[in-house]
Amino acid sequence: MKKVCTVLMAALLLLCAMNLGAGGQQTVEEKLIIREASQVPGLITPGVWDGQTLSLNSSIYDFLAELDPATGELVPSLATEWNSEDGQVWTVKLRKGVKFHDGTDFASEDVRFTIERTQDPDLGHLQKADFAIVERIDTPDEYTVVFHLAEVRPTFMYLMTAYNMCVLSSEYDYAKLGEMKPMGTGPFVLKEMVPKESALLVKNEEYWNEGYPKADELRIYFVPDIDSSVSMLEAGKVDVCPFINTIHKQNLAAKGFKVVSPYQEYRFVALSADREPFDDNRVRLAMKYCMDPEILAKVCQGELGSDVYYNETPILNVLAQYKDIPLRGRDINKAKQLLAEAGYPDGLSVELYYASDHPYGQELTQAIKELAAPAGFDIQLKGYTRDVYLSQYWMDGPMLLTGWGPRVDPSMLLMLAYQSEGPWNESHIDDAEVDELIAKISAEVDEAKRQQYYDRLQEVFYERGTVINIQVPYFVAMRPEVKDYRQPPTFMVQYEYTYIEE
Amino acid sequence: MSFLRKVLQRLGFMIITLVAMSLLIFFLVEIMPGDVAQMVLGQSVTPEALKALRESMGLNDPFYLRYLRWFTGLLRGDLGESLYMRGVQISMILWRKVFHSVILALAALLFYVPLSIFFGVLAGVRSGKLSDSVISFFGLATMALPEFVSGVLLITLFSVVLKALPITSVIPIGESIWGNLDILILPAFSVTIVMFGYVSRMQRSSMIQVMSSDYIRAAELKGLPRAYVIFRHALKNALLPTITIIGMNMGWLFGGLIVVETLFGYPGLGSLTMTAIKTRDVPLIEACVLFITFIFVVSTFITDLLYGLLNPRIRFSGAEQ
Amino acid sequence: MKRVLFLFKQRPLALVGIVVILFWFFAALFGPSLLSFTYSALDTDYQMTRPGEGGHLLGTDALGRDILTRILHGSRSILTVALLTSLFSTLAGVIIGFSAGYFGGRVDAVFLRIMDILMAIPPLVLAMVILGILGDSTIVSLTIMVSIAYIPATARVARGAMLTCKNYEYVDAARIMGESNFSIMFVEILPNTIGSIIVEATARFAYSIMMVASLGFLGVGLQPPTPDWGMMVIENKSIMMNAPWAVLYPALAIASLVIAISLFSDFVSKVLIHDS
Repeated sequence: MKKVCTVLMAALLLLCAMNLGAGGQQTVEEKLIIREASQVPGLITPGVWDGQTLSLNSSIYDFLAELDPATGELVPSLATEWNSEDGQVWTVKLRKGVKFHDGTDFASEDVRFTIERTQDPDLGHLQKADFAIVERIDTPDEYTVVFHLAEVRPTFMYLMTAYNMCVLSSEYDYAKLGEMKPMGTGPFVLKEMVPKESALLVKNEEYWNEGYPKADELRIYFVPDIDSSVSMLEAGKVDVCPFINTIHKQNLAAKGFKVVSPYQEYRFVALSADREPFDDNRVRLAMKYCMDPEILAKVCQGELGSDVYYNETPILNVLAQYKDIPLRGRDINKAKQLLAEAGYPDGLSVELYYASDHPYGQELTQAIKELAAPAGFDIQLKGYTRDVYLSQYWMDGPMLLTGWGPRVDPSMLLMLAYQSEGPWNESHIDDAEVDELIAKISAEVDEAKRQQYYDRLQEVFYERGTVINIQVPYFVAMRPEVKDYRQPPTFMVQYEYTYIEE
Repeated sequence: MSFLRKVLQRLGFMIITLVAMSLLIFFLVEIMPGDVAQMVLGQSVTPEALKALRESMGLNDPFYLRYLRWFTGLLRGDLGESLYMRGVQISMILWRKVFHSVILALAALLFYVPLSIFFGVLAGVRSGKLSDSVISFFGLATMALPEFVSGVLLITLFSVVLKALPITSVIPIGESIWGNLDILILPAFSVTIVMFGYVSRMQRSSMIQVMSSDYIRAAELKGLPRAYVIFRHALKNALLPTITIIGMNMGWLFGGLIVVETLFGYPGLGSLTMTAIKTRDVPLIEACVLFITFIFVVSTFITDLLYGLLNPRIRFSGAEQ
Repeated sequence: MKRVLFLFKQRPLALVGIVVILFWFFAALFGPSLLSFTYSALDTDYQMTRPGEGGHLLGTDALGRDILTRILHGSRSILTVALLTSLFSTLAGVIIGFSAGYFGGRVDAVFLRIMDILMAIPPLVLAMVILGILGDSTIVSLTIMVSIAYIPATARVARGAMLTCKNYEYVDAARIMGESNFSIMFVEILPNTIGSIIVEATARFAYSIMMVASLGFLGVGLQPPTPDWGMMVIENKSIMMNAPWAVLYPALAIASLVIAISLFSDFVSKVLIHDS
């Protein structure tokens, strides 16, 4: 028996040796193949899609409109033109000659289906709150859709670029087939998918955008661990690797890889205004006086002002609407004084909930804890994996750290999270002036007036707001041969334009 | 005859074990906070939507009804659909991961069994000498390292410093595992490091015991060459306890390698189980745990069988050891 | 006593083991107060510095925290959990296993079946499921989790020990004298089996350290910033190229402790059990 074992072991070793050489080679074909190492998706059906593995859905589906990454303007996609005279009734014209991957035609009925689906109570559509404003949808002909909104919304079409608003086929059963056989009109068709492991997409020969996609195949690997993804990139097994952190960026840039930063992500620290201790604005201010943005930037391995940004409003620094209010600066004595005034002369204890596996979550929360300690704040960190955090603890804690993606139009975020009745009002803010300003912003057509409201809103947040806004970079690393990688702030990677030049 | 009866009895116990296990897991997941509906819909959902989803998933039915529904499905050979990933057949996900786990387990077995037995025999035969001390210490040291420690050290050595082996066990799209066997090497090696200590030490001590037994002494006195004595007489008996240990660890080998899988990103049963537990995906949890139990029960059975075959004294005595 | 000294000479490594264990106990008790850093202090001027610079003897991690302080602090929680676990699981195991072995018959049969079922699940999986029920990872929940996962093993050993002693004459004598079952089990038999029980307890101690470290590695260790050796390994794995000391030293800490306890356990078994 020992002999048999030895022989078997030798055979296996021989087999391995033979394959060591073969492991790294690619198939010798003339196809242009883009390989990406991304995260492991949870659910991928649009509507309930958690936003992991952005390239999968962005390649399979199209949207009514997209964003130009350079200018931030709306670009026609499945919708060719749109207008509204009063901001409340929107007429949208659709593109002709578009087909879904199964050959069926794209028409106005599909748009109606996609939007009405957001209101399905059994689905839990993530954009349900955004589209609650739609009262009625008319489809006068195959290529026209008319939306009747409950209120004036000048920025209505921006809603169509949200990542869960992929246009779906009204004739397809997404409940049953959405996870395994997605059906869209996009530049790539899903050919094979091994759940949680990999996806193989091939060029959509009938794609409506002539000449695109440039690549023949898109191969996406679902890799749970970012270090493994980076090592795959370094070993030449993939071409693109998104969601790297600053340390990876430094290492990879030094090795000659290209690193781009398509947009910033928010990390909001929500100070819940509906319960102790942050129901008292003095306590909120005390916390803000404890913060040192430079240290926060450093723990993210970045520099304040170039990689990481900080302010106390929900508006990104890079946006046009941003008002540059000078930072208040760290003042522990002031913080202590405020706490004493609020009735906490000996400090207080508060729990901070966050997603432990979300980038920068660990670093930021520990830094915040350390920074607030000298003033008397004893912060108890409660970290959970993102799915558990979002389903059980978010929106229900005295202090939260949540990652938000940018909304192309900041008023969308304001309506979602900073109106007192907003569905995702995680900080439970209930301020009449804030509500009023947000309502005015969303209804105002005149740019200059709108900016005035934005300015005043940011001042109010500085005085008595419930949020600390830390903007962290989103990096994508790729081989220098990868050209024309586009990823607007909608998150949707536009792989139809990307090609590789060896 | 009594042998056959024993076999049937064992089979009966196996089935009872599996059923009891399925019930236990169902119960444990019941008392876990959070359910799959909440996982799917998230926090900001209305209670009505949650209720509706639970209704459509059949989660509002009482415990025994849900269990019976799942159980009868199982008897028909239908593992059901994942609750979290609606519409995805569990059998599709499960068997692929199982296949990967099986290959990794076989690779690990192929590495560690001959290696450990060989060195265990060597240490036992040269008991008290330098080689014994070296092997014993090595065995003890490796036994004490948790898988991830030895795994991290292996990665550092082979992937980072030597750049000889891949850090991650990812199979390129369109290829199968057979063209990528190099991804098995590091994980199998990590497992080997863990098992080497156990098995070689057990082999060593049983070897020592056997070598000092009367009939071995008699064989030596008869003038038979030492190597012959070791391989033909002593080894067979000395292998028995070792086989027991190897058999006992099969369950772990086939389904418990969570740490190794996490470290190397290997797409196996362990990480699938973890994901299932996190998302409270009851049918998937059941499928995974049952499979692991099944392997364990079957391997225990086979081990006992082998033990009985190799050691005729046990076979006919019918006594439980 | 003489025997102990003799065995020491035969196995000098056991002495090394004991010294290491004592070192860690002292480190846990007194270590953190001897150092100038706290385990959560962020030293942003010295992020990922190599050992020796800036007063950081073992270097710092990505957030600028002192590795040495974190390791010494981490020893507290891991030793506490492991000690409590080996105590509880042994205690529970003795009670359950003794009862099964002593009363025999159906009690024993049922016991064996249940233990078989529980042992079929890999302990890590069982621990994760129990954690799912308990919620957070705290010292208490970790102890409960790991203890439950190990009870089947200790119970089996206790049962085995009971079976060997059950039929000795002194047991019969005690029974005739009218002693209660409880008294026979724990007053008469237990002292005679204490040897294997203690050995099992020390072995459990080593396993508990490994299990707690593994749970930390899988991300379900103690909440940050409380140092957890297993979590230190996983959270610093990504900076292994830039700061290998951040991974190496926690890994070595784990390994040293487990090896030391194993050596000690080995030695104890030689002392207390008279056959190899």
